[in-house]
Amino acid sequence: MNTSLKKMVLISLLSALGFLIMLIAFPIPLFPVFLTMDFSDLPALIGAIILGPGAGIAIEAIKNILHVLLTGSLTVVPVGEFANFAAGTIFILVTWGFYRRKRTALSLLFGMITATLTMTVIMAVINYYFIFPSYALFLGYSIDAMVGMSQSANRSIHSLLTLIVYGVMPFNLLKGAALTLIMIPVSARLKRFIDKRIAA
Amino acid sequence: MFNLVIGQYVPADSYIHRLDPRSKLISVFLFVIIVFLANNWVTNALMVLFCFLGIALSRLNVSFIYRGLRSVFIIVLITFLLNLFLSSGGTVLFSWGFLRVTSAGLLQSIFIAIRILVIIVVTTLLTLTTSPIEITDGMESLLNPLKKIKVPVHEFALMMSISLRFIPTLLEETEKIIKAQSARGSDFTSGSLKSRVKAIVPLLVPLFVGAFKRAEDLAMAMEARGYHGDFGRTKLHQLKWDWRDTLLLAAVLLLAVLLILARY
Repeated sequence: MNTSLKKMVLISLLSALGFLIMLIAFPIPLFPVFLTMDFSDLPALIGAIILGPGAGIAIEAIKNILHVLLTGSLTVVPVGEFANFAAGTIFILVTWGFYRRKRTALSLLFGMITATLTMTVIMAVINYYFIFPSYALFLGYSIDAMVGMSQSANRSIHSLLTLIVYGVMPFNLLKGAALTLIMIPVSARLKRFIDKRIAA
Repeated sequence: MFNLVIGQYVPADSYIHRLDPRSKLISVFLFVIIVFLANNWVTNALMVLFCFLGIALSRLNVSFIYRGLRSVFIIVLITFLLNLFLSSGGTVLFSWGFLRVTSAGLLQSIFIAIRILVIIVVTTLLTLTTSPIEITDGMESLLNPLKKIKVPVHEFALMMSISLRFIPTLLEETEKIIKAQSARGSDFTSGSLKSRVKAIVPLLVPLFVGAFKRAEDLAMAMEARGYHGDFGRTKLHQLKWDWRDTLLLAAVLLLAVLLILARY
């Protein structure tokens, strides 16, 4: 059987699943409303485990393009989708780096913990230099206005830097931790299915 | 939980519906760039006029456009108010406590609100008059030159179409699983973050298993029907570029020229 076709179809279905999971995003208390929690990176991670990191990144890309096409980006210009793609890609690459050598639940756990930390640091930099400035540009917000908006959720935020340190960074840590907490039991229960497909 | 309507396409027969998806995609892309040229009353009026012309030509009920705008209305309003109170310059029109509205601030916030609204109207118009499959086909065709540098454009477009096709199916399956789990007493919509995270695992496992099985079946079915990749493949829906599409592009370019002339 044609393996590249099988690979493509599996990527498509996991992307559709990722898109659906992305729809159940919800804001969490104590964080600014534009940071929403979702677990849409899970299908991409499962895809990466079965088919390698390239497939995982493709799933992240398709999922975000679908989100732009079907729900219409909240901000017109898909900055949020770009941020989701960047975070997911970093997460997958780091996790894969650990998992590639030893395919066990333990290395997956270590991989995801390291991935959470790496993603948090890199996303902080990307947010500071790229994401917040582009929101400001496209929406006509000033950065101060966004800082003010976030202040209502958390009092200690008073500049872009503190917004990232108190808002974005803990948020990404929490998101990574939640992903890990879900991924470990899910991948354990899917082990039978995953192993069969890696071998095939 | 899932009261969201997926995809906004409204089938109809109008000038805009009949256009080639490629010309619509290029026009929307250009329009989103052109919008930033508008900086005074005349240029903004031109943008709004262009949008109204588009809506009229699409023969869509205005309520469809309104539905697309409704979800972003709050954002536009917040942006408007933030700009209104936070930008300075010009004469002070109104002040109350720490809130101050200046003439330049008022003008700027109106222009920014118009900018956001026209972009939303134009992109909504695209998704209302073009089915997601058409958009995917159009993108594939536009990105064709990238095949020369070994970018898997065809594969990407195929994966997009398959995903689009399976979103409703998987959505139905998700609803079924949620109902089944709810009947057994699990709760997805309330509770602490921890309990929500816990509740999501028994939802995800059957979803993944279902997706794996479907993928296998579909790959087998495609193989059996002789899918053999991009080379020598024929299409059910052929894209056709005619004078209407050229006219649309000309109109967008004319708009850009007019905006540049009327800028100052």
